[in-house]
Amino acid sequence: MKNKCLPASPVDSARRQATLGLLLAASVLVLAQSSLANTPTIRLFPTTVVEDLRQTGNVARDMETGLQEVIGRLDQQQQLYQESKCDGAENDSGCQRLARQIGATYLDMLTIMEERLPDMEHTVNNTRISLEKGLRNELGKKMTPWELQETLVGKAATGTTTEASPTLRGRSGMRLSERFKQYYQLVATSGSQSDQSLAVLASDIYLDMEETSLLIERTRQEIARATLMEQLNQSFGIITPEMMEVVGGVKSILFGDEESRALVAGPPPGSIEQAYRSPLEQ
Amino acid sequence: MNTNFLFSLLRVSGVLAAVMALASCAANEPSCPSPQTRNLDSAVGFVKTSLKTGCQTQFDRFYDDLLTIAEGDPKPENKRTFSEFLVWSGDQGLLSTRQAESYYNRYFNVKFMSMKGDYNNCSHTCPNKQRVLFDMERELSDKERGLLKVSEDREGYYRADRLYQEVELVLEATCTACTAGR
Repeated sequence: MKNKCLPASPVDSARRQATLGLLLAASVLVLAQSSLANTPTIRLFPTTVVEDLRQTGNVARDMETGLQEVIGRLDQQQQLYQESKCDGAENDSGCQRLARQIGATYLDMLTIMEERLPDMEHTVNNTRISLEKGLRNELGKKMTPWELQETLVGKAATGTTTEASPTLRGRSGMRLSERFKQYYQLVATSGSQSDQSLAVLASDIYLDMEETSLLIERTRQEIARATLMEQLNQSFGIITPEMMEVVGGVKSILFGDEESRALVAGPPPGSIEQAYRSPLEQ
Repeated sequence: MNTNFLFSLLRVSGVLAAVMALASCAANEPSCPSPQTRNLDSAVGFVKTSLKTGCQTQFDRFYDDLLTIAEGDPKPENKRTFSEFLVWSGDQGLLSTRQAESYYNRYFNVKFMSMKGDYNNCSHTCPNKQRVLFDMERELSDKERGLLKVSEDREGYYRADRLYQEVELVLEATCTACTAGR
């Protein structure tokens, strides 16, 4: 009773203000959360997909790291072979020994690829299955064609939106599947392309993963064939042109020797005055 | 014999009368010429008069004429002129609201009228994907005319072009996912 009649000390009033501030902040947060909950969101990237993507990237990186060392060794051996003027002197016993060493390193490279590919296949398939489910449910079954268009354009967008545009397939540089296509070409002696809003991005990755799964499968078959061929060559100490091509290709993937695709210039910006909106516009 | 001749004569004269009546009808039909002016506002005025005086059936041709005239003097304000003309056409009962929207959006909107439907994409769009994309491609060329050549809305046209590519990609993925889920 007494306390109620006492004037508030400056400390008390500061504490009260702080409490009031906290309460206000908390209510703002609650309000913001409830308004977010009312906003329709497309669940195309659940945490599992993100985790799968990360893992795929790690597996790919591990494979690249593993190959880098072997490639370096191959480079040195090849240099030695050339400096020893072995081209055209294949019958020389020293050159034959060098050729066998190169062949053995080449087999190491194929073995590393063969060892890492099942992991890659597993993570790629996980990502593909998760994305497939999301695309089917969120874009395929929950949306009409018009709603899909609105999602892609952005609901707030009128005819003249200037929001940052996502990169499309074929323009986002070298993709995972492109790498694998190259791996496949190296081994099989046989090229491809590549990107978003959330829907575009998910579609691109999904199609990429589909392609990648197929390429991994074909690459594994080709590795088996190439390994057998090289095991036979080992007894003769021969460096085949195919081997050199494979090694050159792997290097271009790892060290980015491939010519980067030139970007196409965008259109000149339109006039802002064009923002007329017809009552007929949908 | 005489009776037969009389019947034949009557039949011939009947046919003649019908031909004459049709000819007189045709002579009364309006000729509905295209606007000759190169000025869009004047052309719209001319077309409105024609449409009010019995040329409603020529709406498509008039719309095309107006687009051609507007292409000769492209500017952002042309969008408004076409919109107002279509709203007027709706008010006059020449077009339904849906038709007016379709005429406008097909040429002047980024979004595609050929990608519409009341059912989900798995069941409606995917089974007709090729036809939908073909129709969208045709609509894109109309958008090129409306947005780019008539309204000078480059940004709008390039967005529509990109939307077409995005739809192509997203449909490819979504339809593959729909099929895989069966």
